Amino acid sequence: MPMPQTAASLDHIRRTIPQIREELGTGPVSVNAIRDPAIYALEQERIFKKVWLKVATAWELPDAGDYKVKELPVADTSILIVRGKDGRIRAFHNVCTHRGNKVVPNKGFETYGRARAGVVTCRFHGWVFGTDGPLKSVPMEDAFGQLDKGCLGLREIACDEWEGFVFINFDPAPAQTLAAYLGDFGTLFGGYPYRESTTAFRYSTVLKCNWKVALYAFSEGYHVPTIHAGSLPGFRGIEHSDFKLIGPHASSTIFGAGMDTAPSTQTFAGVLHGSDNHGPRPDLLPADINPARRGDFQFEIPNIFPNLLIHLASGCGYPGLSYFTHQFWPLDHGTTLWEGINYFRPARNAAERAAQMHVNALHRNAWLEDTATMEDTFTGIMSGAIDDMQLMDQEFLIRHAALTLDSYLAGAKQ
Amino acid sequence: MTTADYAILPEAFADLAPLAARWSRPTENERNALRFAARAPDFAAFHDAMAPRLDALLAYLAQCPAEPVETPQRNALMLACAYAEAAPHHELYAGNSEVPFSFDARRFVPDHGDEAL
Ligand code: FES
Ligand SMILES: [Fe+2]
Repeated sequence: MPMPQTAASLDHIRRTIPQIREELGTGPVSVNAIRDPAIYALEQERIFKKVWLKVATAWELPDAGDYKVKELPVADTSILIVRGKDGRIRAFHNVCTHRGNKVVPNKGFETYGRARAGVVTCRFHGWVFGTDGPLKSVPMEDAFGQLDKGCLGLREIACDEWEGFVFINFDPAPAQTLAAYLGDFGTLFGGYPYRESTTAFRYSTVLKCNWKVALYAFSEGYHVPTIHAGSLPGFRGIEHSDFKLIGPHASSTIFGAGMDTAPSTQTFAGVLHGSDNHGPRPDLLPADINPARRGDFQFEIPNIFPNLLIHLASGCGYPGLSYFTHQFWPLDHGTTLWEGINYFRPARNAAERAAQMHVNALHRNAWLEDTATMEDTFTGIMSGAIDDMQLMDQEFLIRHAALTLDSYLAGAKQ
Repeated sequence: MTTADYAILPEAFADLAPLAARWSRPTENERNALRFAARAPDFAAFHDAMAPRLDALLAYLAQCPAEPVETPQRNALMLACAYAEAAPHHELYAGNSEVPFSFDARRFVPDHGDEAL
């Protein structure tokens, strides 16, 4: 008989600090994977074209025909993510099967739009594709002599959803389903009403650093009292603990006893804290996150291999903030597109809206403090002055990600 | 819309009209541009006038829809959002118009930067 799912069902992913040290080691970690430009081609082939990558959320594309075009230089392609008439979200190469033009032209790294009548039309010669992929019509079709329209639909990319987060996999035959790839991460983070937090503030920037420098900088709490002395003054009792190892993924919890909140922040925060819609909701956290329901819980910080962080706060950290995500998209060895998105539940009145603006601005400012280190760190690593990083316990997500990366680059069967 | 139109506020906050004309803008990009150009005394003056009124302003806005249509309501929201952006520069960053020790804020691109309140 299958065991019932209980809070104890994820005990096997939890690690004490001695266990983490035992399992991942305590020695210096080579910076070579950051420094060596030749590694990038391997990362493209063995990681970014093989594993599941988050590219959208279901609530960004609420209606049939809604689409998002996303440029993914790391996979040498542009993709079209579109909700079909049947309600399903699919992903395609944004490449016309006539002669290769982009089917949906775009500006920047992300473009949104809506396909009318369930079709998208290539502007070059007018080939028409269904939002579910098939080639529907071709101007002057007779003039082609022969044309097997049945084989000329948009080139589909494996696409699946977890909790409304849309993932793709460029492998024509993915080694694992999305659910299998996420594994216990899906359980650890599952069940939170992510889709209710549809108010999103997205920031992006192109950083002159390797993508892992940016990822690692956002993967630990060690830096908080120093880097964030400006935006998070007097942060007390910060504790980064409750470590979990989940195959290629890992997670941990940030606790904090509080900080010297500025008077205006307190006033804005009061609006959100006083609302059952936006206030701290530790009860909504999945059972295995902060299982003791400690009052000083701030957020859960996981690393979902290779390039996604979903910080789940449920209003317990930054006032009213439901969760936030980071993604790190390599553009080449030394250039990274960083995306940070703050998610709130929709404001129900103008005061809540203003308060969300304040919290969003404060968090954006903290991100400006984080990103300040990244280009300097990369320059430092590229100088050749150091061959290793020294990592402490709270930097275990970095150690784990570096080991995972090495095993993928070595071509280990996952 | 001219900046004078942003100063049309609900009666109870009519005295804040000069601040609204100076600071209220409908988009994050416009608010940021004003912030980058401001100096410590500007932030201090905005803070000193707004801090004692923030509770009342938020209490008023709590009665307004999240997307107000009426001009005075919308302007009250705009003023609160302008202060939401500016207050940390007085309270946390000692009057600096940039976040100290930070990345170049002009390189951060908000998707919603040109969306009006
Ligand atoms: S390339 Fe698209 S119709 Fe010709
Ligand atoms: Fe940080």
